[in-house]
Amino acid sequence: MRIIDAHTHRPGSLLGAPPRPIGELRREFEQDGLSGAWIATTDGLIRDTNRHNDLLAEDLRDHLDFFVPFCTVDPHQGAEAAIRELERCRKELGMRGLKLHSWLQAFSISNPAVVPILRRAGELRMPVLFHDGTPPYSTPLQVAAAAEQAPETTVILGHAGLDDLYRDAILACLRHPSIYLCLCSVSSGYIQEIIGRCPADRLLFGSDGGFGPGLVPSAADKILAVCEDQATLNRIFHENAEAILPVANRRSAW
Amino acid sequence: MSTGIIDSSARICSANGALDPGELLRLMDEWSIARAVVAPSDEMVAVYNEEGNRRIAEIVRAHPNRLSGLAVANPWYGANAAQMLEAALGGGLVGLYLHPGLQGFHLTDDIVNPLIQTCIAYEKPIYSHTGTPVCAMPFQMAELARRHPDAVFIMGHAGWSDFCLYDVVPACRQAPNIVVETSCAFASAIGRFVQEIGVDRVIFGTGYPRSRHRFEVNKMRGLDLTEEVYRQVMGDNAARLWGIGG
Repeated sequence: MRIIDAHTHRPGSLLGAPPRPIGELRREFEQDGLSGAWIATTDGLIRDTNRHNDLLAEDLRDHLDFFVPFCTVDPHQGAEAAIRELERCRKELGMRGLKLHSWLQAFSISNPAVVPILRRAGELRMPVLFHDGTPPYSTPLQVAAAAEQAPETTVILGHAGLDDLYRDAILACLRHPSIYLCLCSVSSGYIQEIIGRCPADRLLFGSDGGFGPGLVPSAADKILAVCEDQATLNRIFHENAEAILPVANRRSAW
Repeated sequence: MSTGIIDSSARICSANGALDPGELLRLMDEWSIARAVVAPSDEMVAVYNEEGNRRIAEIVRAHPNRLSGLAVANPWYGANAAQMLEAALGGGLVGLYLHPGLQGFHLTDDIVNPLIQTCIAYEKPIYSHTGTPVCAMPFQMAELARRHPDAVFIMGHAGWSDFCLYDVVPACRQAPNIVVETSCAFASAIGRFVQEIGVDRVIFGTGYPRSRHRFEVNKMRGLDLTEEVYRQVMGDNAARLWGIGG
């Protein structure tokens, strides 16, 4: 079965993970069974946002047949500056999605800059992957409230609410057709409930790979422990991700 | 005609098993508060609901011109919770008090639905503590309020502490059946509530004993509100909401 990981990070200094060459990370992911991975910066979520977008794009130059690059922006710069960086990443760097991590980036999703950023991302056909599940600034319903104001934008709850708020993530998914849930770091029993209640075409596989070893197989095992339906597994592990953003062997055309 | 000041957020704490409103009544006199809407606290919210409702009803009967009472019912008691609530509302209490942190549920959990249906049937508002992750956040109240558009919800403490500056306004925009209660919230946030949610959807509370009358009353006096808006927020809105006199 093909596996596309919709939630990985370029290794950085955060959480003590040592910086590693991207080719080494790719080999590890391939050995773990991945056919491709959406990837975002790590260090750029805590400092020097624009520079880390450049570094990620440069790193991935020879690996676009495997990685799908996600940029990030800093809402504290204001909507105008953040959108300018978003457009630069899309048009000049060929990045294809937007990652926002309101906990690490220290902004509330109710910050007035967020909705204009989401709307522009939708116009640029860039899905937006949020960290979620961590109060007070990264809850599923906060993301859903912003997504409601930008209904044309594909919004992904990167952790499906985590264990404390996965049921809020289910509610967000059921209320808003633009919201997808990435089954990353949620416990198996809760994943089973999510699969049982949410449309299968809006669930994604994710692992947080890049933060440390063994995350990809561990994340896959959590899903396989509670779901045997092959059609559902195909959707979760690759079809849905490929429908949103297919892995390309070249920079996607603007 | 003004109703005077109504405090929509006061708890009477148990001391050695007794509920004594004496200190609250003294503070109400000192700060010219005409009426307070009181709920029991702590173990009577979490576990001993029936006892809490009985004692609050007794206190309200003893001070009918100064106090109105809220009922408590832990949703985990299921059908018994709804029956307790019906008895309390039928006996004259004016609404339901929820505290998801103390009672161990999320505002978005379905187990609270029967209590909300009961309040709708009795046309009584639901006051809930908010501001506590992961169970009592403004957008969770909005989700609940959207699920029950015929109910009226009061966002206790306006999402304090982590949410009052950001989430309260957009959450209230999602659900027109939410009213915001001001205790504990930043003064600057309250001005924004009035402007962006609407003057008729903001009510004063002291949050006693978590907060104190001196701070909360002075906070409201220091706001740049017109006399008319001040009168609405401090009492008239609450009188209409709770169906009580001044």
